[in-house]
Amino acid sequence: MVDIIVLIKQMPDLEQVKIDSNTREPMIKNVPKTVEILSEHAVEEAVRLKEKYKGKVTAILLGNEQSSAIMKKAFAIGADEGIIIDGYEEHNPANTARILASKIKEIKHDLVILGNQSADSITGLIPGMLSGILNEPLLGNAGKIEVTETTVKVTRILEEDNIEIESPLPSIVSISQEINEPRLPPVMQIMAAGRKPIKTEKIAPVVSKAVTLVSNKAPRSERKKLIFEDMDKGIPEVVKVLKEGMK
Amino acid sequence: MKFLVFSENLGSLSQMITYLREKGEVIGVGLEKSSSEASNFGASKLYSIKGDILSDSVAKLLEELFKKEGVDNIFLSSSILGREAAGILSVALGAGIVPEINEISFDGSKAKTKRFYLGGKTVLEEESQAKIFTVSPGISDAIKSDKKSEIFSIEAPQSKIKIVSRQSKKAEGSNIENAKIIVCIGRGLGKKEGIESVKPLVEAVHGEIAGSRPVCLDYQWLGEDRQIGLSGKKVRPAIYVGVGVSGQIQHIAGMRGSKIVIAINKDKTAPIFEEADYGLVGDLYQIIPKIVEKLS
Ligand SMILES: Cc1cc2nc3c(=O)[nH]c(=O)nc-3n(C[C@H](O)[C@H](O)[C@H](O)COP(=O)(O)OP(=O)(O)OC[C@H]3O[C@@H](n4cnc5c(N)ncnc54)[C@H](O)[C@@H]3O)c2cc1C
Ligand SMILES: Nc1ncnc2c1ncn2[C@@H]1O[C@H](COP(=O)(O)O)[C@@H](O)[C@H]1O
Repeated sequence: MVDIIVLIKQMPDLEQVKIDSNTREPMIKNVPKTVEILSEHAVEEAVRLKEKYKGKVTAILLGNEQSSAIMKKAFAIGADEGIIIDGYEEHNPANTARILASKIKEIKHDLVILGNQSADSITGLIPGMLSGILNEPLLGNAGKIEVTETTVKVTRILEEDNIEIESPLPSIVSISQEINEPRLPPVMQIMAAGRKPIKTEKIAPVVSKAVTLVSNKAPRSERKKLIFEDMDKGIPEVVKVLKEGMK
Repeated sequence: MKFLVFSENLGSLSQMITYLREKGEVIGVGLEKSSSEASNFGASKLYSIKGDILSDSVAKLLEELFKKEGVDNIFLSSSILGREAAGILSVALGAGIVPEINEISFDGSKAKTKRFYLGGKTVLEEESQAKIFTVSPGISDAIKSDKKSEIFSIEAPQSKIKIVSRQSKKAEGSNIENAKIIVCIGRGLGKKEGIESVKPLVEAVHGEIAGSRPVCLDYQWLGEDRQIGLSGKKVRPAIYVGVGVSGQIQHIAGMRGSKIVIAINKDKTAPIFEEADYGLVGDLYQIIPKIVEKLS
């Protein structure tokens, strides 16, 4: 038996985010939300562990009032319970970690599973912060997870090598994208997921002044953009540049 | 100002020391195997860690050094280990943190930083009183200094986590971060044997071959240590040549620092052309032999 908490995040569908050509700012407002990529792998892994060892999967999402579609996706994959905390504040990982940790503390668990670095904000700080706040060991960037009665063993994928590491339960495990291929749930399961109740809790937004946002703009590309369709012109140009660069 | 700088990776450590030495005194922390090389980049001191390290023990070590050395800020490379240790450390010190920066300047104790956001589509400019920063690889070129660092051997505190075994990776020991010219192949090659058609170009320019994520990870046409991008290596060669690479944002995140970008792609609307100085629209199998011929 393993009781697992899985953390899922929502993000704007990045492919649909366009840049305003005047302000260079991203046009986020009407972009649909999807499940953050690593979070989807995290839910898949939590459900696979439950299928293997029995137990329960509780999904927690710190988001807003539009997050229920994302939670339904977690249900369709196989999460048993879902809690949405309404009150996400962007660009503030410390706050995210604090709120998630206080919820996690209320729920009995053997494992907390989450992504190692989210695809939209690319901070990668939540795993370490949770480990610090909850005082549970962090087994990070798992490519494989095995559980016994009292321990969890993980293959940690590093840049240079892979290491097998182990710690007692409860522990926090962040997963790497390669750990699994998330399933495409059958229609029946998707329909059933839609009817499942979601617990929603609203929290008062905290205005943190620790970090102030100055701007969020697409970088201006200073590339020359000399694009050739005529190879008789393009190839000599490129050859010249390459020869210059080899010096 | 005084900075504590940690990386388990020699390249990142020397880049960060180079970048920060103009802004204040730098104390480096790295691994024993790379400490003699890392001592050439102008840090006043270099702590050289003996033995295995895990994120909780690195966090503890940096916490101790932070107090002992009385530094203003701590910088960790944004690697798997570095990000985890930074998160743990920020909780232990109760200190503000800004992740994944690729630029920083100080106005008094206020830090002005830039980092990529939205998967790399935009840049966030922030101001903070943060004490801890994780640093995106490739923040600067690593340039040696005349000043040698004094090396101190140190042991990291015990980790709560047990290492059971270690397997080295299917890697080719490549060093694409230091290559002057990189030829990066993408899924557009169509088949593994396609590499044979690209190799003459790599040789002609005395470059290194690298790949997009599908090429290195999904198809394993190249070793994983040759992957460029958000979840791979961040490179800044003098010339990057992308062949059959579409230029998705997660790939661009790894090659944006290249001085000159050349792209070969048969689709004239491929996003890589937005990030290219020179673009050739056409079939790579026809174009590459012609370039090679003209180079020799
Ligand atoms: C969290 C996350 C992290 C990621 N990290 C990375 C990363 O680190 N690195 C990375 O690269 N990707 C990464 N990706 C994947 C990325 O989104 C793209 O899927 C990937 O970069 C596409 O690789 P590609 O350009 O090789 O393939 P494709 O997108 O399939 O492009 C192939 C291109 O080849 C062209 N082509 C085809 N045939 C020919 C021909 N004969 N001659 C010339 N051109 C031809 C096509 O027009 C096309 O543009 C990540 C994705 C996610 C979600
Ligand atoms: N708002 C959130 N709600 C729930 N889980 C989150 C949230 N933000 C981050 N996470 C989890 O933490 C992982 C790493 O995110 P990050 O550290 O922000 O890059 C994600 O893949 C999620 O699993």
